[in-house]
Amino acid sequence: MDPLLASIGHYMFHCFGLLAVAGALALVFSKNAIHSIVGFLLAMLAVAGCFLTLSAEFLAVAQLLVYAGGIVVLFLFVVMLVEMTKYKEKGLFQIQAPYAIAVVLAGAVVVISVFWRTWFGPDATKALTLSPTLAQGLDVANQNAQAVSRGIFAQYLLPFEILSVILLVALVGAVVLAKTERV
Amino acid sequence: MPSMNAVLFISFLLFSVGVAGVLIRRNVLIILMCVELMLNAANLNLVAFARHSGTVNGQAFALLVMGLAAAEVSIGLALVVALYRKKDTIQVDQINLLKG
Repeated sequence: MDPLLASIGHYMFHCFGLLAVAGALALVFSKNAIHSIVGFLLAMLAVAGCFLTLSAEFLAVAQLLVYAGGIVVLFLFVVMLVEMTKYKEKGLFQIQAPYAIAVVLAGAVVVISVFWRTWFGPDATKALTLSPTLAQGLDVANQNAQAVSRGIFAQYLLPFEILSVILLVALVGAVVLAKTERV
Repeated sequence: MPSMNAVLFISFLLFSVGVAGVLIRRNVLIILMCVELMLNAANLNLVAFARHSGTVNGQAFALLVMGLAAAEVSIGLALVVALYRKKDTIQVDQINLLKG
């Protein structure tokens, strides 16, 4: 990778990550469901950018295709099918929302206190680098698609086949669940 | 390349926002999207550790998780549509047939 690209890659990751968090916050806290979906789309695109800066190019493109191309459209279709306007006045959040926020913040404090010990440690600013002894002939950084395909079709073939069966079951199940009942 | 801490921290933030969304929102669609968000945070961690260890295992697993997430969301949305036909609502606090 170019030195210039490597030097800005660091900041690119931060930009994409903060964009993803902003999209997630828009997803959770917006009133309109369409706005939530737009926030979700922003978060997914930003996560794809994060994958790119982590040099997982194949996963980034797969993320774009699956999430931004497929799942967002599915959510939009369901919003179109389901009438949302009648619950506008019912309130956005559950009754237990303050307690839930408190629980999440408590978990966040615990994890951040763990982070605090590593944040200023000796390895804190060390960039993620490939260790050449571990790469074992798979040039993960430069030939990402080949490396991933070798991993998924050789080493993890059984999980891949199980996943294909799961996808088939999900396909049939979705059709059975969503079809209209005829008398 | 970003540092490991930055990746883990961003992924943690995404995950906690997803947990908060699942806990506080009433709309089933938003809850499903928050579940997707949490799976994505886990994917980010997998990719970061794959990068850290120099192997491809994490990326292969992230790909499998992505396919599983697609299956999950299709089933979830079919359930939402069936539920809307049955109960005429998708607010989780109005689906209280079991009186839980």
